Order: sequence, then structure tokens, then C-alpha cells
Amino acid sequence: MAKKKLTTVAKAPKVKLSPRDAKTAERLTGLADRVVSAANNRKDPYVEIPSRTLANVHYSPRKKIIEMGNATNRRQLFDLSQAKAYMRTMLVTSGCKKLIDQGKSTSLRGLFYMLKHTIEGVKENTFDEQGECDTIIEDVEVLLSSIREELHLYAENRGAMVGAITFTDKGDEINCAKMGSGGYAIPSIVEPEVVVFDKAKCKAKFILHVEKGTVWQRFNEDRFWEKHNCILTHGSGQPPRGVRRMLHRLHNELELPLYCVLDNDPWGYYIYSVIKQGSINLAFESQRMAIPEAKYLGLRSIDFERCQLSDSVKISLNDTDRKRAKQVAQYPWFEKKPKWQTEIKKMLSNDFKLEVESLISKDISYVTEEYVPTRLREQDWLD
Amino acid sequence: MATRKPIKKRSVPATATKKKAPPAASAAKRKAAPKVAEVSPEESPGADEAAAEDDSAGDEAAATAKSTGRRATAQSMASKQRDISVSEFFAKNRHLLGFDNPRKALLTTIKEAVDNSLDACEEAGILPEIWVHIEQTSTDRYKIGVQDNGPGIVKKQIPLIFGKLLYGSKFHRLRQSRGQQGIGISAAGMYGVQTTGKPVKIISRISPKKPAHYYEIQIDTKRNEPKILNGAGEGVDIAYGEKGAKDIEKHGIEWVDQPHGTRVTIELEAKYIRGRGSVDEYLHQTAIANPHITLHYTDPEGNVREYQRAADKLPPEPKEILPHPYGVELGRLAAMLAEAEGMSITQFLSTKFSRVSPAVAKKICTTAKVSPRAMTRKLGRPEAEALYHAIQATKIAPPATDCICPIGEELLLKGLYQVVPGEFYAAATRPPSVYRGNPFQIEVALAYGGAAATQNVDKDLLEDLIEETDARTIRQFLVSTFNGLGTDAADRIMKAASLGTRQAPKQLKPKERQRLLDAMQNVNVAEGQTMEVMRYANRVPLQFQQAACAITQTITSTNWRSYGLSQSRGGMPKGPVYIMVHIASVWVPFTSESKEAIASYPEIQKEIRLGLQAVGRKLGMYVRKRMRVKQQGDRRDIFMRYLKEVASAVSEVNGVDRDGLYNQLLTVAKRVTADADMKLDDRGRKIKEPSEETDFGENVLIVDPKTHAAAIKRGPAAVAVAEGE
Repeated sequence: MAKKKLTTVAKAPKVKLSPRDAKTAERLTGLADRVVSAANNRKDPYVEIPSRTLANVHYSPRKKIIEMGNATNRRQLFDLSQAKAYMRTMLVTSGCKKLIDQGKSTSLRGLFYMLKHTIEGVKENTFDEQGECDTIIEDVEVLLSSIREELHLYAENRGAMVGAITFTDKGDEINCAKMGSGGYAIPSIVEPEVVVFDKAKCKAKFILHVEKGTVWQRFNEDRFWEKHNCILTHGSGQPPRGVRRMLHRLHNELELPLYCVLDNDPWGYYIYSVIKQGSINLAFESQRMAIPEAKYLGLRSIDFERCQLSDSVKISLNDTDRKRAKQVAQYPWFEKKPKWQTEIKKMLSNDFKLEVESLISKDISYVTEEYVPTRLREQDWLD
Repeated sequence: MATRKPIKKRSVPATATKKKAPPAASAAKRKAAPKVAEVSPEESPGADEAAAEDDSAGDEAAATAKSTGRRATAQSMASKQRDISVSEFFAKNRHLLGFDNPRKALLTTIKEAVDNSLDACEEAGILPEIWVHIEQTSTDRYKIGVQDNGPGIVKKQIPLIFGKLLYGSKFHRLRQSRGQQGIGISAAGMYGVQTTGKPVKIISRISPKKPAHYYEIQIDTKRNEPKILNGAGEGVDIAYGEKGAKDIEKHGIEWVDQPHGTRVTIELEAKYIRGRGSVDEYLHQTAIANPHITLHYTDPEGNVREYQRAADKLPPEPKEILPHPYGVELGRLAAMLAEAEGMSITQFLSTKFSRVSPAVAKKICTTAKVSPRAMTRKLGRPEAEALYHAIQATKIAPPATDCICPIGEELLLKGLYQVVPGEFYAAATRPPSVYRGNPFQIEVALAYGGAAATQNVDKDLLEDLIEETDARTIRQFLVSTFNGLGTDAADRIMKAASLGTRQAPKQLKPKERQRLLDAMQNVNVAEGQTMEVMRYANRVPLQFQQAACAITQTITSTNWRSYGLSQSRGGMPKGPVYIMVHIASVWVPFTSESKEAIASYPEIQKEIRLGLQAVGRKLGMYVRKRMRVKQQGDRRDIFMRYLKEVASAVSEVNGVDRDGLYNQLLTVAKRVTADADMKLDDRGRKIKEPSEETDFGENVLIVDPKTHAAAIKRGPAAVAVAEGE
């Protein structure tokens, strides 16, 4: 086997598996057993993988989240186009089983290296790029309805938070009010086994989520969270699962409302949509991640006039942007909201987009001292 | 009026003159035609008339000259106006006959000699055996010798046939033959004499009991008469046996001893180049289209290549036919009317043309408003014209088509198989059809998959081949050893093997040999290869003016994509395909005098297209089937590749026995890819009986390219091509 990249996680290698791990291991073994029984019966082994496409997700108006449908894709070993994918699925299965058995966890890239090797007799690798491995991991997640964390896998840390809250992470106390300029890096696994909240230790009244690190820096430098008594987070663009899960837990367990400050472009709208309703690709995790009550604070397409910005901050829309905007407008969760329709139409008629940084043209701290406080005060947001 | 006849039939001199002659020489040009007519044994009754026309034209010219004050008068011009001999004309315009450059001169000379030999043998009912020898005598001079086992030529005729232009037996009849004009060989001789001063040497024997005749001839271009140089203008006889052989040697020529036959030796200024449009190509293609001949060819480098006959039966003798009324032009009709003595119109029509019954003749007369009993002589120009239009308007049965002798599907396959490497062969002979009153027939044959020979070579064979070759570079070795491998593909192989262009094959180190072998097996030589087209008219290969030819045009306008070949719009299809198209006709419509391209008559193009489609459909079936087999094989490979991985992954998860699971999965894989399995069992032999699974219809040949003798040319010297299966 290829070299292993094991990262030490404060979890003692026990012979006895935790109940959660035992359940996951059982599911993995079940997958392998089905191959054996198919082979015994002279049948093609196959797996039914729930389909992770737009066609197989639907919006639940009641729960206000995206849910995955029942459609599945059959992946067969004896199908020319699927044989390799099938083999990879089995490799990932065995890799995860090994991690669980040894009580260790690894990064996605770690697993990629763990499973990557040259197939015997041919000049072909099991995996050539990490992306190939990552999609298979997602397949296995939906296949076993076990999330990544249960498979002992984690992603790179992305996103940061500061604010008036103290919690424990793997037993260490984290005081988010004393995080300096860098903030607390949100880990990819923020499950209750790792991150434990204490309601008493949270003084924050709401969460402000901004799109990018640079904007977040602005807010942090201005000690926005201190003045307004909130938690400040960012997700480096499209927020990774760790950030979304963190927001979800903060929102639900500590009952903190969530406000988002994102760019005024289709991409910003989409980020909001993902935070609020869940993503198509990870629809199976919407339940654990989506925050239907999240509010969209800005930037709005009316801000160009409202804040009297100069012409120089406009970035004209390109064809992809226009197309994307129309797609977003047609999402079921936006379709029936006149305010959102007006918002998107306004942007299209503006024919330009605005980044949050554009507010700096007014004043360096305009966004933290003027823009956001005003919106919050006036309760001027989109839902 | 009668001048129309020579113009029509002897399209060579007439049209040529038209193009070349400057306007001032128009009178001379008119003279040229009757001069040509003189050569024909029958008297041309139109000559006087033509002369009369000339006179009146001259008068007119003189009248205009007087009024405008020209530099020369009609009288002074008249003194310069004189006869032009055909031979003089062709001596000046030798490009018209295919002697434009030294390279082509060599080919044309051989071609004319071989065509004549084949025609003679076939007419006499002898299975042809031809010896061709090219020998370099100095840097730009070659001596060619062509011998046949034909009936021989009687003594009196030898000088005329080889030393007089437009003398022959084929011109005055409507019959399928290779030669049509009677110019070729004598023109070749003339070219030889002009460029080297050496006479044409002919030996001919008509019977083992009689001595052979030996002549050395020069053509007298002024008079278009042969001049015999040896034996005081009489030639010499050469005895049979030892003594004769010595005599022959003394004259510096060769003679393969035969009871009967003819050998012609011409020395000429020429250039020998291999490749497209070469003598090698011509003989190669001739062998394909004439599977009943045996050919021994010695090239200037001394290499001997032998083509053994694949069929022991002569093609049936073509019949001579009367012209069909639809194909006759007004001028020709008028001339025929004038020639026909003492005949009524009805008689004339029904005896001088094919497919005209008295009833039909009567109908034509009624339409033309001419009395059916009127005598032909009395008909004037207007009546002739009326008759001509009436013929076109009357429904007449198409001409008899049994006068055409196609090669036949079976022989096409045999011929192609013997010479062209491939794994799939198909042939189609179309039923005869008619263009402009001339019957013709189209045949198409196809060979597919011929370029893979490099992949079938193993280490030992490669060693042998390298040992045998006399090629100086690897590229030359590859191109000359593997039939159908182009220089492009050879370059790709060498690049893949990272070998230099100038390396000699014999000096390759073992490691380099291994690299060469690997490259040969891995490079897809068929990539970028385009279809090779071989065009034939009456079994004679056409090697030039490919783009102008109806055959090429029809091939490019046919959609080959539906037959499993890739093709860019309006281009030649790509892939390892050889296609041969043969048109047999009593009168093949060439676009020009040099007989290099077929004219695009819609009827001919339609027949070619139907023929192409017939073989194309079969090819499509084969290609698709092969693809299916290949896909199944690929599937098997892919599954095999991953099975072990799957088995070990599963055993790691649930601890099941890895090898046990692997074997079980293997069983499933075998069941799933059963098709490929069947093919695998058959490897090394014919892939499949075609009738068993796919019905290709008749006349299809499928072979395993690995065992195909034509695929690899062994050694520098002769290795006879194996007999057909």
C-alpha cells in the first residue's frame, strides 16, 4: 500500500469502538459483504448511490431546506464506464474501515495518498488527483448515510471566527474574544464530541457572517463584535462544511440569529442560498447545516444609489453572471419572494455588481460604523 | 464533312492540333486531319470535300487581305502551307502522349509495351507472362526490355507496328481493349531514338518451328515510315537454340527462350524514381487488376519482383460491337451515310447500328420525316440533321452489354489479396450500364486494415528482417519492408523509438532494436492514413491527374462516415483502406489524350457511387463488428485490471479470502464478456466464418493479417508472393 499520512488526533486507539464508530464500521462491512454475496451468486456486484444532482433534490417549503430525493445511480463493477469508479468506491470503503479500526482520522488529501497506488500489471494509478478521491468520498457518505466525520475524515480548516463566546474544543477552552487579529480557525469537524458549547459562556446576541477574510479583517480590526456584542465569522467565499455546521450549531443551540454580509453578485446570492437552504451537492446534510432563518443584510443592488457610491466601484456583469443570476432567481426558494425577485432584477438592470469592499471608497470604516449598524437598526434585510 | 470522322475517333491528333496551331496556320491544321486519315487503310471519301472547303476559306482570306493591306498575301502564305506528318507532330508535342519528363517517359514506355503485350496475349488466348527489365546505361539513360509469351508478330508487320505512328488493329473497332489508338509503342520508340539515337530492337517468334526475327528500327519522322537498320533493311533471322542465343547476346539484348513471343528493347533518356506514379506502382497495380498474368520485374537496382498469377483462366474474349445510335454525333452520322453505298435508310440504320430493328428504323424515319426507302447517298445535310434528332427522340434499347469483360468479383478479391495487405476484402461488380450509347461496367474492390503489419512482428522476425534488408536507413527499411506503411508512419515509429533518421538498421544495438520493436507495436500506423485509391480503365492503372478523375470525385463525395471510416467534408476518407475502381468499356471517356482521368459523365458517376456503396456497406458491417469485438476485449481488460483491487479492498474490510473472491469475480467477468472470449479462442486463425454471425453477402474475404504474406516484403531480392488461399 501507499504511504500513510496519519495525523494524531486526541483519540486513544481503543480496541473497543465507540457506538457511533461501530455503526459506521458495520455499514462499511455490509458494503463489502454485498460484493462477496454477489460474486457467490455469479452476479454483477453493484452499489446504489443516491444521486447528487439538481434533478434529485427538492425544496421542502415546510422545512425551508433542500432535501435529497430518492433517485439513485447504480454503479456496477462490470460496466465499462463505471468499473474504475466502482473499484475506487471499494478502495475508499476499505480506507475508511482501516481508519475506524485504528481509531485515527486523516485529511481528505491523506486518504488520497493512502489509497493512491499503481494498479498491478498496468501503468495506471488508482487515483491521479485528489478531486477524483473527494467525489468518491462524497459518494460513500451518501451511500452509507454516514457523514465525513463518521468516516474519520476531515477537510482543511477554512474560515475564522471571533466574538463574545467561550467554548471547549477537544477539551481546550477557547475564548473567542481573545483571538488577536487572526481569529479562531473553524475546524472541519465541529461535532459535539469535539466542540462543546456552554450557553452561560455566550454573551453574543447575534452572528454576523461575512463572505471573505479581507472583509472579516476590517470588522475585526474595528472591534465590531465588541461594540455590537456578536460573533463574527467568515467562510473564505463558499463556506465549507465546518463553518456551516458551526453556524448551524450556534444558531440552533445558542439561539443566535444569523446575518450575512455578502457581495452583491450572483455568487453572493448563491452563498446566502447555501447557508439558508443547503447545497445541491450536499443536500443529504441540509438537515444538519441549513439555517432557514438566516438574513441577507447586504450588499443590495440599491446600495449604489443608497450609499451614493462612485462610478469607479462598478464591476460590469458578464454573460455568466447574467445567466447565473437568472438561474438563482428561478430557485424555488427565491421564486416566490417578490423582494428577492426585485433585488435580482435590479442587479440585472444595473448591469454591474458590487463587492463589499467597494464601501471602503466612502470611508475605510464605513461598512462597520455606518452600513451594517444602520441595516441592523432599521431591520432592513432580505429574508 | 467527312473530316468529322477522324476528328471524333482520333481525338488525339485533332484536338491537339486545335489547341496548338496558331490562327495563321488554320489551313495547315485542316490539312493535318486528312493526312491522319491517310494512314487508315480504307480511303477517306471526305478528303476532297475537305480540300474544297480549304480552298473557299483561302479565297475569303485573300479578299480580306487585299482590302486591308496585310503583311503577307494569301499566295505567299500558301507557299509555306504544307503537310505535317503525324510523327513530326508528335515528335514536337510528345507531352501529349505522356513523354513530358524523363520520369514519365520511362513509365509511359513500359506501360505501352506491357499493355500491347497483354492485349496481344489475350486476343490470341494465351495466358500472359511478361518480363520487364529496366537497366541503367548511364546517369540519365535507361534501357528497357519488355517480353511477352504472345503469339508473336509476322515478319512483315514488325517494322510497321513499331516504326509507324497510328498503325494498329484496335482503332477501327468498338471493342474493349487496353490500347485504343495505335500510337503508344511506336511513339515510345520514336522518343527513344530522339533522345539517345539508339534504335528500337525487336525480336519476335511466332512458332517454335520458325526462326525468330530480329529488327533494329528507327522511325522516319518526316514520312512516318519505319527505317530498318540491320540486315540491309531486311532484318535478320535468329535460329532457335544455342546458336540463336549467342546471336542475341551479341546484339546486346536479352531473350527469355519461349516458343513464341515478342521482346522489344528501347533505350531512352529517363529517370527512375520509386513511389507515386512510378513503374513499380504501375506494375503492382497491373498485377492486381490482371490476376491472370505472371509478371517478372527486374528494377534498375537489380531487385526482382515476381507476381504470380492468381487465376489460370483468361478473361472471356470481349466482343466487337456496332455503335449504338445514341452515341453517334451528327458529323459521324453524316459520314456514315455518305460511306454507305446503295442502301436504303432503313437498311442503313438496322445494319450499321446495334439495337436498331427495321421497325425502330422506320419509326426514326417517320419522326425525321424522311422516306424509309430513300437511298442514303441522296440524303443531304438537313435530312441527316433531322435523322440525328429523330434518333435522340426515339426510344431505342440500350446497347448489348455482353461485349464487356469485367474482371469479376472473385478475381478482384484474389488480385487484391495477393498484392495488398489487409484483413478484410470486398468486391462488387455492377451490372453493365450505358453512357452516351457506349456500354460500360464499373467494378469496385476494397481492402481494409492493411497497415497493421508492424504490430504483428515479434523479436525474432524483426531480427530476420533486419538481417535480410539492404536498406541504408531505418526509415527506408520500414517503408520498404512493410507494405502500405507510409513515410509519415515510419517517422512516427522512429520518433517513438527515439532513433535517429540516419541510423542503419544493421548497426542497431540490441537495446535499440528492442525500442524499435516496442515502437512498432505501440505506434498506431493507421492514424492519419488516408484511403489509397487505385483507378483502372480497361484493366490499365491510371496513375496521374487523380483529382480530375470521376472516380476520385465520386469517392470524395460519397459519405464514408456511415461505413465506419472518418472523413472530413469533401475529403478522402481516412483509415487503412485500399480501394480499386475499374471501368471497363468499349470506349473509355478520358478527359484528355494522355488517358489519365475518366470524364465525369453522370451515368458513370452514378454507377461508381453504387459500387462504392456496395463494398462500403460490407466494410461498415465488418468495422462495426470488429469494433464490437475490440470493445468486448477492452472490457475484459479493464475488468481484469480492477478485479484484483476490488478483491483486496473487500477482503480488507470484511476479512473474506482475497483470492477466493478474486476467482469468483473472474468467473463473473468471463461470463459478462463472453463475446470477447469467443474471439480470443479463435485468435491465430481466421477470426470468424462470416456467414455464421454476420452475413456479409458474397465476395468478401476475411484474413488474419498476421499470416498474410503480402503484408511484409521479405528480403532484398525476390520472394514470390504466395498463392492465394
